[in-house]
Amino acid sequence: MNTETLPGTRKLALVAAVFVIAPIPVAGSGYYIGVLSRILLFALFALALNIVFGHNDQLFLFMGGLGGIGAYTTALVADTVGVTAWLALPVAALLCGVVALSVSWISARRRFTVILISILTLNLQLVLSEAFVGARDLTGGSTGFPYELFSIEAVAEAVGVPTPVVLYYVILGFLMAAMVAYVWLINSKYGMAFEAIREDEAAAESIGIDVVRYKTIAGFVAGVIIGIAGTLLAREATYITPSIFSFVAVDVIALVVLIVGGIRRTYGPIVGAVVVEAIEATLSNYAANWRAAIFGALLILLFLYFRSGVIVRARDLLESRDVSFGGGGGGTSVETEADTD
Amino acid sequence: MVSVSTLAAITIDGLAFGASLALLGVGITLVYGLGEVLNLAIGAFAVIAAIAASLLVSDGVALPVAAAAGLGLVGVFGLVIDRTLLSLVYRSDGEERILLGIFTTLGLAVMIEGVLVNFVSSRYSLPLGVSPIDVGTTVVTGTSVVTIVVAAVVLLVLFAFLNRTFLGKATRTIFQDERGAQLVGIDPRKIRTLVFVLSALVAGLAGLLIAARSNIGVGNAFEFTTFALIVSIVGGVRSLVGAVVAGVLLGLVNTLAGFFIGSYVATIILFGAAIVFLLVRPEVMSS
Repeated sequence: MNTETLPGTRKLALVAAVFVIAPIPVAGSGYYIGVLSRILLFALFALALNIVFGHNDQLFLFMGGLGGIGAYTTALVADTVGVTAWLALPVAALLCGVVALSVSWISARRRFTVILISILTLNLQLVLSEAFVGARDLTGGSTGFPYELFSIEAVAEAVGVPTPVVLYYVILGFLMAAMVAYVWLINSKYGMAFEAIREDEAAAESIGIDVVRYKTIAGFVAGVIIGIAGTLLAREATYITPSIFSFVAVDVIALVVLIVGGIRRTYGPIVGAVVVEAIEATLSNYAANWRAAIFGALLILLFLYFRSGVIVRARDLLESRDVSFGGGGGGTSVETEADTD
Repeated sequence: MVSVSTLAAITIDGLAFGASLALLGVGITLVYGLGEVLNLAIGAFAVIAAIAASLLVSDGVALPVAAAAGLGLVGVFGLVIDRTLLSLVYRSDGEERILLGIFTTLGLAVMIEGVLVNFVSSRYSLPLGVSPIDVGTTVVTGTSVVTIVVAAVVLLVLFAFLNRTFLGKATRTIFQDERGAQLVGIDPRKIRTLVFVLSALVAGLAGLLIAARSNIGVGNAFEFTTFALIVSIVGGVRSLVGAVVAGVLLGLVNTLAGFFIGSYVATIILFGAAIVFLLVRPEVMSS
């Protein structure tokens, strides 16, 4: 492939390479592998939020609930049908996609504002949280059940590395696939339509862009990604409980990640996730009790003063010293294939 | 089958829960109607007042004094939040202000909870020491009756304030026409401060009343916020009367459903009601 004409691909390959070698210095430490995995997971959540909120002004505040639907469905389908979780995951992801699609379709049809969508989905999040606790027969209630799907232990044993390391690479695979899909999507006609709709919905409609259709597609794509991210989140925890998918545990973190990284920036979710998880790891080492308080303060500060993204400022500073963070997928055409396995 | 007296007792409990919900809903509605800030930290306000009062009572302070102190604390806290955080939010307007309001108060809620957990991590209550009341063959919880009476009186006073006094009329003018209010010499910012403190007090009172009937902890803050949000959505987020009616109705339905079907279904009914209302009448939330 001629990478000279595909700057996006080269940058993505570089980022992928960094993450591929990242576990090597810390492979012995289960703790650091866990931190790295969470970076990838929340990059995945934030990437979905970037598509649906950043590019489409649909603020989904039920990412936790949607991720929970994905995780529980994967386990239940694998269990009841008796197939491997690898076959159950696409079913679960598709279900999450359809749920998100429905929310987007109704919202777009009824011309809901971003505020209305946020309140609607927040209520959905609360219903789902309750449902996960209440539907004991299916979810095991608040005690949950062990979540060790995808026969990752077997692979780990065969290769001779710890299970979390194998899981890390599985998550990395999904994140990179999602990144490729994202770059392709944003540079395709869909991305152009998203941009037109975001700038002026009425104007976009007047030149023949089907606003409802594009918003629904964005919702579906985000739903699928969130469903996968939720399943992997439960797998990383090796035990599934409703508290993993609470509003504060998923939505708040993903939102902070996206804002820190910078909304609508290609590498925003990844950069944001690195920063946020680094802060979180530091806090849980030195100020575990103050983690929530500091995150709340961070949320306030970010929204009041850094809505364009903390990284945008840091990047400007670094770029003046010839260090590039990447980012901004606007305008460049990238001819990579959408690899959606 | 359930006897009539049991049903009556549950209904009174439901009305008491509804009275607290109505207060929470009014707290949200006051601020949103006036400044388009959806106060997602309102549950934390309720919890702060209740825990402060409960701690004072266990230190030997008389209940009325402790309750007043709890309300005073949350009032001052509301004032500080209004002068600092909300001043920054009010700098923007329109949709951006609403969004900013949601996120800053959400951040505030997470922060308050995160701070409080380090100091007051157990569960607190505020027993009123009222004995059950016999009404013919029916025995109803005395605390529930007190809750209903207190909430009703406070709401009546609040409505009287808004309808009868100059300050109240000025407030309602801004509800209806902010620019017109400015033209006749009303400073919206000052009124907003007043109303925010008022909403903090109302939420604090809701917290006290809930603590009188059950144990509450810091973890309940977000739950109270969601209750408040649901009530104000179902009531039509700009209508105070709507919030009161919706609060009482949802409290009643929730308590009855909790008794007959189970609390988990009851909670889902509560949130489901909000979703249905949003879908049927989305215009209630639009600016």
